[in-house]
Amino acid sequence: MRGSAIASGALLIGAWLAAVAATPAAHPDFSGTWERYPPPGGAKADPRYAPTPIPDPPLKPEFKVKWDIDQKKLQQRIEEGQPAGDNYVHCIPDGMPAMMMGMFPMEIMQRPEQINITQEAFNQVRRIYMNQKLPKWDEVDPSFYGASVGHWEGQTLVVETTGIKDYVTFRWAPHSESMKITERMHLLAPDYLKDEVTVEDDHFAKPWTWAWTFHRMKDYKLQEYVCEDNREYVSADGSQHLKIGK
Amino acid sequence: MKLRYLLAFPLAAALTAPAVAHHSFAMFDNTRSVTLHGKVTAYQWTNPHSYLEMDVDDAKGSAKHYVMEMTSPNMLHRGGWSSRTVKPGDTVTAVMSPLRDGQLGGLLLELTLPNGTKMLPGVPNAARYKITS
Repeated sequence: MRGSAIASGALLIGAWLAAVAATPAAHPDFSGTWERYPPPGGAKADPRYAPTPIPDPPLKPEFKVKWDIDQKKLQQRIEEGQPAGDNYVHCIPDGMPAMMMGMFPMEIMQRPEQINITQEAFNQVRRIYMNQKLPKWDEVDPSFYGASVGHWEGQTLVVETTGIKDYVTFRWAPHSESMKITERMHLLAPDYLKDEVTVEDDHFAKPWTWAWTFHRMKDYKLQEYVCEDNREYVSADGSQHLKIGK
Repeated sequence: MKLRYLLAFPLAAALTAPAVAHHSFAMFDNTRSVTLHGKVTAYQWTNPHSYLEMDVDDAKGSAKHYVMEMTSPNMLHRGGWSSRTVKPGDTVTAVMSPLRDGQLGGLLLELTLPNGTKMLPGVPNAARYKITS
C-alpha cells in the first residue's frame, strides 16, 4: 500500500515536472506586432489566411427594424461624405470588440498569467487574465473593454469577455451589458494569427460570428496615440467643419 | 531643385478604408487646390490630426493666416515625417484642398520644404483630390 502511494506520488511529480517542462513549448507565442490581414484597401487575401467576413448582426426582429433604418441613414451619410458617427469622430476609442479591427497595428504581450493586447489607435489596451473564472456580467462595472479571461485549449487561446457598456457598439448593433464575446485565437502559420469571434446577447436571434486574420509585422514599434486636439466638429445641420481659430 | 517624394509606405495606403469610414473629408473641396507660399507659424504634432499653420502674404501685402489639417502623427511617421520635419519660421510652399465653408484653411496635399524636398502627407485616397493650382 505504502509503496504504491510513494510510486503514485512519484508518478504525479514526474507528470508535473513533464508538464512544467512542456509548458513553454506547449503554447504558441503570439507576442509581437500585428496588422490586420489582408490590409484594408483592396489587397487580395491568400485564401489560406483569409478572414471570415462579418455578417450583419443577427438581431431579433424587434431590434432589427431600428438597425435597418440606422444603416440606411448611415449609408446616406457615407455617400454624402459625412461622418459615420462612430467613436473616433468624437475622440473616443473603439472598445470591444471593435478595437480588434482598430485602424492601426496592434501589439500582443504574452505572459503565462496575463496577455495584453494594445491597439495603436487611442492606445487601447485589453487585459486578458489567464486561467481565471469569467465574472458574471453584473459582478463587474461595465467598461469599454470589459472583463476578459483566457485559457489554452491545445494551440488555441480561448478568451471570454463580458461587461461591456451597452453604448459601446460594434457595427451599431445594440446589445446589453450581459453580452459575451468568445474568441478562439490560433496561428494559421508562424506569422498569421486567426481570431474567431462569437458574440452572444439577448438582442441576437443566434450567435454573431466572424473571424479576423492578423499578419505579424517585422520590427514595428507601436506609437503613442493620445487624442488631444480634435478640431473637427459637426454642426447642428450635420455638416462637418474645422475650428480655425484658437 | 531636388524633388524627393516620400511616399507613405503601403501600410498608410492600406489604412485608407477605415480612415474614410471614421473621418469625413467632405468639408474640403476636392475639385480644386490652392497653393500657398509663406512662413510656417505652427506645426502641431497631435492626434487625432496634425496641423500646419502658415502666414501668407496676399496680393495687397497683408498677411493671412491659414490652418491645414494633416493625418495622424503615426501615419505621418510611417510616411517619413517627424515632429521636426518643419518648424515655425520655415518658408514653405503648401498645396491644399480648401475648406468649402470659406474659412482660411484646408487639407494639406503637398509641402515643399525650404531645401526643396517635397513631402506628401499620406492623404487617404489622395488621387481623389485634384491639384489645380
